[in-house]
Amino acid sequence: MRLLDRYEEIVGHQEVERLRRLAERLAGKRIVHVNSTRSGGGVAEILGWMVPLMQELGIDAHWEVIAAPADFYRVTKSFHNGLQGLRVSLRKSDFDLHYEVNRENAARLNLQADIVFIHDPQPAYLPLFTPPGQVGRWVWRCHIDASRPHRAIWKYLETAIARYSAAIFSMAAFARPLACPMFLIPPSIDPLSDKNCAIPEAERLETLARLGIDPDRPLLLQVSRFDRFKDPLGVIEAYRLLKPYYPAVQLALVGGSADDDPEGAEVLRDVLEQAGGDADLKVLMLPPDSHRAINALQRSATVVLQKSLKEGFGLTVTEALWKGKPVIGGACGGITLQVHDYHTGFLVYSPAGAAYRIRYLLRYVDKRQRMGQIGREFVREHFLLTRNLRDYFSMLLCLDHPESRTLVV
Amino acid sequence: MDCSLIRCATGRACYNLRELLEALHTASDAVLEHHMMRCALEDHFELYEFPNDLAGWCWTSLGDNVLAEQLGVVDPYQQPSTAALRAALLNVVEDRLWDLEHPTWCRPGLELHLIESRLVAYDTGERIVTAAAMLEAIERMSRRSLFFHVHEARRRTAGRTDDFSLWLENAGMQASLVTAVREIDFYFLNLNQLREALSEAFRQYIEGAPAVARSTA
Repeated sequence: MRLLDRYEEIVGHQEVERLRRLAERLAGKRIVHVNSTRSGGGVAEILGWMVPLMQELGIDAHWEVIAAPADFYRVTKSFHNGLQGLRVSLRKSDFDLHYEVNRENAARLNLQADIVFIHDPQPAYLPLFTPPGQVGRWVWRCHIDASRPHRAIWKYLETAIARYSAAIFSMAAFARPLACPMFLIPPSIDPLSDKNCAIPEAERLETLARLGIDPDRPLLLQVSRFDRFKDPLGVIEAYRLLKPYYPAVQLALVGGSADDDPEGAEVLRDVLEQAGGDADLKVLMLPPDSHRAINALQRSATVVLQKSLKEGFGLTVTEALWKGKPVIGGACGGITLQVHDYHTGFLVYSPAGAAYRIRYLLRYVDKRQRMGQIGREFVREHFLLTRNLRDYFSMLLCLDHPESRTLVV
Repeated sequence: MDCSLIRCATGRACYNLRELLEALHTASDAVLEHHMMRCALEDHFELYEFPNDLAGWCWTSLGDNVLAEQLGVVDPYQQPSTAALRAALLNVVEDRLWDLEHPTWCRPGLELHLIESRLVAYDTGERIVTAAAMLEAIERMSRRSLFFHVHEARRRTAGRTDDFSLWLENAGMQASLVTAVREIDFYFLNLNQLREALSEAFRQYIEGAPAVARSTA
């Protein structure tokens, strides 16, 4: 069975047909996506499905990954934090390293294309080192909240962004004024991926047993990197506030490592220290390919948390909603696009708020189930990969006709 | 036809009423068009309080219920041009500001991000020839398609008609159905409610119409 036929079973014939209609207008175009890692993190997951689907729709799509020494990822992690507004300290040599890695990769990668999508700041300087005429259009896809960036980092990136024909942000609040058009395209999840597909009940139970989680007691779950912006310590605080009211409740903090995130170990140490010897509080560091285990955990959760203080889009929220789970999310970033009070979960502003909303959801089983159903349909309409591809195709068509507010193709 | 809405950030946001007034003076037509008309495509849940973003923002973020109500009744499809729409909005907001000692502010995070949008329309390849087939199509077509054939059509025809009633008229259908479709208060309804209203108009016609008329549309 072709990939698109499988998606048709989930999103319907019409939706796939619309995608085909739009893709016909772009048939044969060569599109290259460039990012910094092939595994770990939301971008790699998105490209993992997007490239093959584009290919099946008749587009000559490719995925290139930059090669860099370990120190480069320390620098780009600081870029990432700095773009999200954290105070970071960078030396001139750090910027030089970023510059040099981009220069080397421009020579190494095959970037001959009609459109090159550059994902996030790591490969952002490639346009400066690519010979004129090799790339038709550069598009910068910024997956993070760049609304209040560290000034020095933004100034450095601005030089490169001036070479782009367009930028894409996940939501309006993440964008900064740029000379090029700034399209707003939320990311999405792949419902057929190992992380989101239906799994056998036996596999779910086996996963819980392996990870030491009791399938018969309520489970609170947060899945995200061990990163300060994800506020794992705040989740522990919320759990401790709740525990006296629901002694049977369990909490699992599940983190995946990513090749480009060297800070995780430090945050993990703090989390383990706070967790202490609580047998009902599991801190699980899973390898990057543990998609099915995460799937099983999300399906087993009673309530899913994503208590971030800063968030790009929060695909873990999308994943949980898709599995019919209400989500309690920090009121920031893309979480606010997905979590709507009393519809798909609750937005919270503090550990106390999270604890209170968990109590509500544990108390009202029917409301919890109803929110889960609404959340799944909400994701089906707005945050599955077919919508994402439709937006990308429409954007590319708009770039060819910049003056039209209504374009008939 | 179906369509995609592609939204574009302007990098500009309003935090208070004075900034909203300034934005109404200087923002592009595309920004006004998005926040007053195309925002209908962003309706995520069953009901919403107001049919445009500006009224919604004043209600939920500024807490200025009076202004929200006044903006809520500005119907962009009744305005002959975007310039006229802009003038109508300016008049409402300026009048409200005139009476206030201090402009109302929103909390951080609740600012109105000004955006514009582009609509990419494409032929679905589907052709409808009878009223019954149209009813069936309306019930399953995307919300974006409904928007294109009603809201966008009104814009294309300077407020005169939507595509459904125009098609009925050209096909020589009963005038009562044309009128019923054209009288739907589409700006007040969200797209799910619009679908129900259209379906109901077609259903009533089909159930009441003679068999010959039903099959020859």
